[in-house]
Amino acid sequence: METKEDQISSGAALQLPVSHRSLAKRVTALLASFRQPVSIAPLITFRIVFGLLMFLSLIRFWYRGWITSVYVTPDFHFTYIGFEWVQPLGNLSMHLLFLTIIIAALLITLGLFYRLAAILFFIGFTYVELLDVTTYLNHYYFISLVAFLMIWLPANRDYSLDVLIKPEKRRKQVPAWTIGILRFQMAVVYIFAGLAKLNPDWLLDAQPMRTWLPAKTHLPIVGAYMYETWVAYLFSWFGAVYDLFIVFFLLNRKTRPYAYAVVVIFHIATAIFFPGIGMFPYVMISCSLIFFSGAFHEKLQRFFPFYDHSFNDAAYRFKYNLSIVVGIYVFLQLVIPLRFLLYPGHLFWHEEGYRFSWRVMLMEKAGSAYFTVKDKDHSIEVNNAEFLTPLQEKMMCTQPDLILKYAHHLAKVFETRGLVNPEVYGEVYVSLNGERSRLFIDSTINLAETPVSWKHYNWVLPYRN
Amino acid sequence: MKRIIFVLAVTVFCACSKSSDSGGETPDAFDKTAMLTNYADNLIIPGYTALQQKLQVLQTASDAFLAAPTLVTQAALKTAYVDAQLQYERITSFHFGPAENALLDIFANFSGSLDYNFNTAGQLTGFSIDSVSIENNISTGTYNLTTMTRASFYSQGFPALNYLYFGPNAIAKFGTNTAARVKYVKDLVTRLKNLVDGIVTGWGTYRTEFIANTKTNVGSPIGNMVNQMAYQMDLLKGPRIGWPFGKQSNGTVFATKVEAYFTGNSVALAVENINALKKTYNGGGNGKGLSDYLVALNKTTLNNDVLAQFDLVSTKLSAIPDPLSTSLTTQTAAVEAAYKEIQKLLTLLKTDVASATAVQITFVDNDGD
Repeated sequence: METKEDQISSGAALQLPVSHRSLAKRVTALLASFRQPVSIAPLITFRIVFGLLMFLSLIRFWYRGWITSVYVTPDFHFTYIGFEWVQPLGNLSMHLLFLTIIIAALLITLGLFYRLAAILFFIGFTYVELLDVTTYLNHYYFISLVAFLMIWLPANRDYSLDVLIKPEKRRKQVPAWTIGILRFQMAVVYIFAGLAKLNPDWLLDAQPMRTWLPAKTHLPIVGAYMYETWVAYLFSWFGAVYDLFIVFFLLNRKTRPYAYAVVVIFHIATAIFFPGIGMFPYVMISCSLIFFSGAFHEKLQRFFPFYDHSFNDAAYRFKYNLSIVVGIYVFLQLVIPLRFLLYPGHLFWHEEGYRFSWRVMLMEKAGSAYFTVKDKDHSIEVNNAEFLTPLQEKMMCTQPDLILKYAHHLAKVFETRGLVNPEVYGEVYVSLNGERSRLFIDSTINLAETPVSWKHYNWVLPYRN
Repeated sequence: MKRIIFVLAVTVFCACSKSSDSGGETPDAFDKTAMLTNYADNLIIPGYTALQQKLQVLQTASDAFLAAPTLVTQAALKTAYVDAQLQYERITSFHFGPAENALLDIFANFSGSLDYNFNTAGQLTGFSIDSVSIENNISTGTYNLTTMTRASFYSQGFPALNYLYFGPNAIAKFGTNTAARVKYVKDLVTRLKNLVDGIVTGWGTYRTEFIANTKTNVGSPIGNMVNQMAYQMDLLKGPRIGWPFGKQSNGTVFATKVEAYFTGNSVALAVENINALKKTYNGGGNGKGLSDYLVALNKTTLNNDVLAQFDLVSTKLSAIPDPLSTSLTTQTAAVEAAYKEIQKLLTLLKTDVASATAVQITFVDNDGD
């Protein structure tokens, strides 16, 4: 049982005998292996852990007053291109929305009205994330993706209130790909995060670790080493190697327990060193459990109260063939992080294709932005604090598309204040990875007339002259 | 299962114990505790204590003036008042801990705050004085100085005293409704004194916490000082110089909205403020400061540039003749020049220094990755 499932889901297609087989047969065999029934147990643990973690982290978000400070207080929000229609609700409705997502997370954990809860959670959470680009985080994106996948996965078919109510729904086996897709999603996060670290700043200059670590000298025992350059190199190189290879060690049955121990230690260390990354380490620690075998999760679930050991022969089957849909999803996940390759210029400077590509804790970037709104009779310097929260201002200063969106907003506001066809000019200074701040965008360009588009930002000054 | 738990336990144990085998100082280690001790003992606590003493002197001079409002007592009062406010400018980068709890900056010297600089009538707020509320408070005799409203902030502290002591016909006004006016002034002085007394007492216990916390996150001492310096630079760029100069009002000058309008020493106060910020930056010159920390981080050039920019801003500011309210229209080139250099220093502190020290410039905590 254990070895079979391991083979199937650890990219085991490579291990199939390949001699005397045509390509078509190999593909068929591969697809068949994805549909091979395997234990549902990993999916069950994943559902419970994911739901609980979301439940707790949303309560934390509420408790810290972030619903109000992030979504209610600001008058203006930086929307995503194509999602301008996503606007925050009022104070009460925003809190009710969060309450709905929190309850949905709990229902996912309990496996009650599972599909409905998963849909509500996905839509609610994604809606909230789409409200403001300045709050974009890689792990929030990850949560949205996983929530989307959870809608389609039969994660409530065992050890859930749904099967308690309708025992005939219970299944002990699911197609291998339902677990494989979650492992794939984890692999995407880790491997792309690792590839992103393969850049000269990270590997040769140990930036931004060299900037961040000296701020951590308050830590007991290790604090004294934080001024040492070699420590920054050690962190950088270890981080890159970890991200690139951890998935392969998690996939291999023999190395898995050790690899998981490394996952736990690595992420707890990042949580201690960088408390600002919030829930990210805990999301990765809990989601990495998906790499363990069905047998492992079955043993684990024996500790769960009211766990039913009896085996049910019928495996879960999808009513429809989802191969093409899953194929498209997988393809998009592989392509979206790579879209930066289509753009010229320095990625960290222009940030074209930076979001949604698993670039986690990759650079230290800060900026100051001064805007002037003009028409033929006026020239007014903008007070950013009047329009943006400190968090919004901080994020806007270094990200070209947000600078542009803000400039357009300013043009609109000042038009209502009586300026005729206002022009907006920005004097923006940005410092990247410990270098001195420099002029970031062309200060002679009328930003009000510069359209937001997917084209290369030629109004951003080159990284190196 | 057992094996997994065993592996986890062993690894966690190793990870936790490995790093403890050798201690010792590293060559270019920077002692942040020593730096914070220098700040607490040589700048912050003496700064607040001096303010406390100067407010005591102010109270005496104020009582003398209130007993006999004449040009002579007013002149003596002016010296004490100016002295106290100059001392106030020296502690502005230390508006955290006990000062933050007391909301000193909004009750002692309200600047309008940065997110809202024009009222609904399109008039600049900044260092306004709400003479209507002040006179109303005096005539009704009912007021609560702890109320959290703009009218309350604008009718107490240094700006209100500035108006009551040195405003138009200040002496003559003590001739009518004398008792109520005298009481109001005394209440304002007492309130200001109590705020500062509370802060001095507060530092008696807060000091330990302050020097022990060498973190740089939001709300930590180092984080607070860098953020306060940036905030004070924002105030210098906005309410102190730029706003009354008309930077955000298409050149409409708001001469009466300068800091300490009636004493006419706005530039002197601004210069004192910037010089004090430099002292905050370099730790007073003698002891360890943020400036030394930057050198320890191999940011010597940045540090030299920041120090030079502080001096340049100070020079350019000093070149504007007081009263600023007049110079805003008669010395535009000098004001413009100072303004330009202020913006450069603001960028250096907010972007380069904050980045180099890994301090977040934001007044709220948030998730991040």
